[in-house]
Amino acid sequence: MTVRPPTLRDKRRYVLVRVDPPGTAIDQKELYYAVSDAVTSLWGDAVAAVIVQAVICAEGDYVVVRCRRGSERELAIALSTITRLCDIPVALRIIAASGTIDSLRDRMKTPAKASDETALTEECRFSGKECLVAHCDGQKVDVIEKGFKNTHRLFLTREDLEEP
Amino acid sequence: MKITDAAVCPYPNGDSSVRRLALEAEVLGFDSLVAIDTPSGRYGSVEVRSGLFIRNAGMKDVIAQVKRAKDSGAVISVKAGDAGFNRGVVGLRGVHILRGVHAADRNAFDHVTAKMAADNGVAIDIDLSIIIAGRGIARQRAIQRYRDVLVLERRFEFPLTLSTYAHSVLELRAVREISGLCSLLGMDIPDVERAFAGVERVTTPPKPSVRVIS
Repeated sequence: MTVRPPTLRDKRRYVLVRVDPPGTAIDQKELYYAVSDAVTSLWGDAVAAVIVQAVICAEGDYVVVRCRRGSERELAIALSTITRLCDIPVALRIIAASGTIDSLRDRMKTPAKASDETALTEECRFSGKECLVAHCDGQKVDVIEKGFKNTHRLFLTREDLEEP
Repeated sequence: MKITDAAVCPYPNGDSSVRRLALEAEVLGFDSLVAIDTPSGRYGSVEVRSGLFIRNAGMKDVIAQVKRAKDSGAVISVKAGDAGFNRGVVGLRGVHILRGVHAADRNAFDHVTAKMAADNGVAIDIDLSIIIAGRGIARQRAIQRYRDVLVLERRFEFPLTLSTYAHSVLELRAVREISGLCSLLGMDIPDVERAFAGVERVTTPPKPSVRVIS
């Protein structure tokens, strides 16, 4: 089968999405199923066939999702209904939409690796409990309660942490 | 006009501190939040207003709690029940918002309650958490109920509020995303803007129509 000439191909748009909380392990296949499920359950099969959503790449905390040109709005609304990925609570924050993946790459922020590694070993106290810092970015601090039970991630700021 | 999320639940009800919720809300485009069971304050450029959510209570209980909280400056909201309860709540001085209409009976919010809400300046809340996290019949029913509420809103012009009811920063949504979600209910941009300003509208005391100059 010959490849279609560019003028006859579908026009596509690429949507750059940040996955919160930072550091979440992104399984591209699972994310594809999550996006597909969100689009189908919200808009139905007929509109999903028009949107033609696909997860193109996942780099760090960022994901590029493809759709047909003109259906970005529908895709964005569907993406905002994704709340879990592999049973982990997540939020997909839409950063930008573009006609090329290259232009979206410029908008991806690369996290400072060294600071993250040191942050992981840091301990702190919140609400009288010992916690481990899971992620730190400016004022934002994500901590995980120490222990075997109830080790939920808590989303705090530096001001919330108690003096040791 | 202030863009307000009419209900968030900070720690210990949720997993995010009120400061963090305010920080994220600022990034997502909000000017103020109503935080349930949390004292008021200002964090950065976001104003956090204290909120009281009365749920699973009888009419007597509601009256007592509203009486107690009336002068605290908190935004008082009550969970919707059956038609009689809702009429009673909407007619109660001090109640600002009626929540959870999507979960009440089909006829629990009718044209009589709508007229009373418009007369008394009580807002009806559109809880987006069910539209965001719900799937299938639950979400369809919520959309259907809210569409019905909007039909009454266009006729009687009672205030509306929008809330994400976020227990976590991950449950907050950007203003643009909320506009998109509201379009599912048939709301256009001016409707959404009016609903974002709903909390301000119901908590600001009405200006007297007659002003005595001397």
